[in-house]
Amino acid sequence: MSNDGTILASRIRKSFGPKTVLQDIDLDIGSGEICCIIGPSGSGKSTLLRCINGLETVDSGILKVNGDDFGYYETEHAYHALSPKKLALQRTRVGMVFQQFNLFPNMTARENVMSGPVLVKRADKKESAKRAQELLTSVGLGAFGDRYPAELSGGQQQRVAIARSLAMDPEIMLFDEPTSALDPEKVGEVLTVMKELAKKGMTMVVVTHEMGFAREVADSLLFMDEGIVVERGDAREVLANPKESRTQSFLKKVL
Amino acid sequence: MTTVINKGSKAGAGSIDATLKPRLRLRTPAEYTAWIIAILVAAGILASVLTNPNFKWDIVGKYFTHESILRGLMLTIFLTVASMAMGTLLGLGLAIMRSSKIKPVALAAGAYVTLFRGTPVLVQLIFWFNISALYPNLYIGIPFTDIGTAIDTNALMGPITAALVGLSLNEAAYMAEIIRGGFSAVGKGQIEAADSLGMSGAMKMRKVIIPQAMPSIIPATGNQVIGMFKETSLVSVLGVAELLQSAQLIYARTFDTIPLLIVASIWYLIMTLLLSYPQSRLEQKYSHTSVRVPRKSKKVVLTAPEGIAR
Repeated sequence: MSNDGTILASRIRKSFGPKTVLQDIDLDIGSGEICCIIGPSGSGKSTLLRCINGLETVDSGILKVNGDDFGYYETEHAYHALSPKKLALQRTRVGMVFQQFNLFPNMTARENVMSGPVLVKRADKKESAKRAQELLTSVGLGAFGDRYPAELSGGQQQRVAIARSLAMDPEIMLFDEPTSALDPEKVGEVLTVMKELAKKGMTMVVVTHEMGFAREVADSLLFMDEGIVVERGDAREVLANPKESRTQSFLKKVL
Repeated sequence: MTTVINKGSKAGAGSIDATLKPRLRLRTPAEYTAWIIAILVAAGILASVLTNPNFKWDIVGKYFTHESILRGLMLTIFLTVASMAMGTLLGLGLAIMRSSKIKPVALAAGAYVTLFRGTPVLVQLIFWFNISALYPNLYIGIPFTDIGTAIDTNALMGPITAALVGLSLNEAAYMAEIIRGGFSAVGKGQIEAADSLGMSGAMKMRKVIIPQAMPSIIPATGNQVIGMFKETSLVSVLGVAELLQSAQLIYARTFDTIPLLIVASIWYLIMTLLLSYPQSRLEQKYSHTSVRVPRKSKKVVLTAPEGIAR
């Protein structure tokens, strides 16, 4: 059975100096599952996401992405860090969308979308340009390929960033508060693109404050606080009937 | 209840509408005093310069376009261009080494920068000129074999070579710091985005970091060029016949020390001013935008909608 598009974590720990940011986190995300992670700031939800993409390394615990140990290979006594090349290869299978978009300002929207395939996968330029056009069209920006990021609105930039990640054909897409830096009226256009993506069966892990999105789209929901998964379960169930008091008080404040 | 805002209180017949009156800047007595003092001092200096016969302006005029002065100027320009070019390339290499994750590589580059910035250029120039005292013969060959030739260091390290080596190596240390500063101006998010796409270190450097670091590197490099132009005068101690040395050679014969120093100074000033213009253009071009606005695109003019206070 293929493990593509799955994320499995067991007792992940991570600390920055004396501060423990992730404590014994367990995750089990199946292929095509949409998982939303919610929680107050500083709860470790972004860090967890960044670990799945290798932007941070975990201190201990098991982390398997697409069925493989992520960033490390296991021997009898230890996990050994992979070479940069092998790590890069694993990363190409996990797309990441950032809160601040992080488009390359020196490239046009199209060049941004092409950057992964052309620079990393050494794909044919013409093919990549064609595919980039398709992807830009799919996020509603077919006519904006020649614009530079500085000439696009936040919502447009974020949609280009999603297209850029999709261009690598990842099995998993990670979203780190993708709408938090947007004008309220631009949030919808990004969420629409994400909903489309969810319908296509992409595995998605979304750190978000958009409870409406979580309720409508997510399969599972994780509520994190102080580096611990406080509550997890079916998204609509948790949002409607939170069991833990910490979850209840958080949801009361944000809903 | 309504309030009427009284827009134009007219002071008298024939005066302008109060809403249209210009607003004048405050001029303090200190400003007027400063102007008077500055003008007096300037007039004094000018009078002295024009009336003191020891300036020998006729001799300044005579030597201003003298052949050996012009040749010296050419050599100065050559030294500036060559040592800046080599220094920048080497500096780029050092900056990349310094941001390397491999400790010894970063440390080596750091040690180089410390050494070459921590000692005076003049000392470095004399050092390279006398390097043959340290290594009389340079042996080029394959290690542990008999293949290779020995070169007399003294013959290799002539004054101009020593000047080029000294200036370039010193400049490299400064350029390395400038370029590294440019690298660190590139946002962390950019590097994370490149990482998440799986870009290799070299690719990240070439396609993401260096293009975005350019706006802060280029103006600073322009400043270095202007600095280097004047710094080349130091190599006169090695007997290189650049602009200053050419002037010195003439006044050693004619004893017209001051006029010839003025000749050299005027040339330095002219060249610095000529370089300052493109430099200030570069600074203007790169100062406002941390994000590069594409050359071909139209300028986006942001205007606040009416009724919104700024």
